[in-house]
Amino acid sequence: MHELSLALDVCRIAEENVGSDALARVTAVGLDVGDRAGIEIDNFEFCLEALLGSAPFGNARPEIRRLEGDELSVTYVEVEDDGGS
Amino acid sequence: MAVRRIDVREKVMAKNDEFAVQVRDRLHAHGVPSLNLGSSPGSGKTSLLERTLDALGDNLRIAVVTGDVQTQNDADRLAAHTDRLVQAVVTGGACHMDARQIFTALDEIDLEDTDLMFVENVGNLVCPASWDLGEDAKVVIFSVTEGEDKPLKYPRMFERSDYCVINKTDLLPYLPFDIDRAVAYAREVNPDLRFFFTSALTGDGLEDWYEFLTVFARVERAIRA
Repeated sequence: MHELSLALDVCRIAEENVGSDALARVTAVGLDVGDRAGIEIDNFEFCLEALLGSAPFGNARPEIRRLEGDELSVTYVEVEDDGGS
Repeated sequence: MAVRRIDVREKVMAKNDEFAVQVRDRLHAHGVPSLNLGSSPGSGKTSLLERTLDALGDNLRIAVVTGDVQTQNDADRLAAHTDRLVQAVVTGGACHMDARQIFTALDEIDLEDTDLMFVENVGNLVCPASWDLGEDAKVVIFSVTEGEDKPLKYPRMFERSDYCVINKTDLLPYLPFDIDRAVAYAREVNPDLRFFFTSALTGDGLEDWYEFLTVFARVERAIRA
């Protein structure tokens, strides 16, 4: 039930790391999710797809790695270069 | 176009946990122990607190922060049982309270004049288990009108709690609820749980709970002093 608020937190972390101007160019957000993190993975993925696929994001995808334990973290953000310097 | 990967390694709950640390530090600096009450809706959290405020309010200065998805009904109910301000947090749709809300609520509480703080979380056995609010311990309230296997169905709340109040025991004669089985299931997920068997309606079993709270408040305060 709280997957949406966690997904929003993922978006905040992405924004803090790439800057708000670059959000539209984010292609993927990598996450580690433990099997004891208290997360319904399908629901979480659905929330992430919805948020990362709409403004201020362009068309980013969540890339979830499932682990054992209670880990729940953002591991990387992939950004398309804007072609500028 | 080239894709650049930025390594992040940031915990999703990090922001909440930062606030939780601040809440804990602030409470401990004033020697205020705190308990976070969690349960499914309708287990009797508010009734238990009403009784508790009536029974202990003269000896312990008790602060309460209540959370609900909508309304401040619980805060209004509790306000009738204490002279102190009962803080209502309306989560506005969110299924849990977060540490930032507690951090803000602390501004309105005179911590120097407080012996014990309760947080009455949103009635929900799932999500509140995942949020550290800066409390010293979680208490899960489990009523006998629920199935004995609640601890197995919602293990995280029972794992994260140190104390379990089995409430509405006055209804046991009318229900097929097997209390020994319920305790066994709860111990299966958390062998260290300490139990209380209460009826917040009749008052049965509450003496144990009051005694525990009195000792808990005194010991925690002594540790911080």
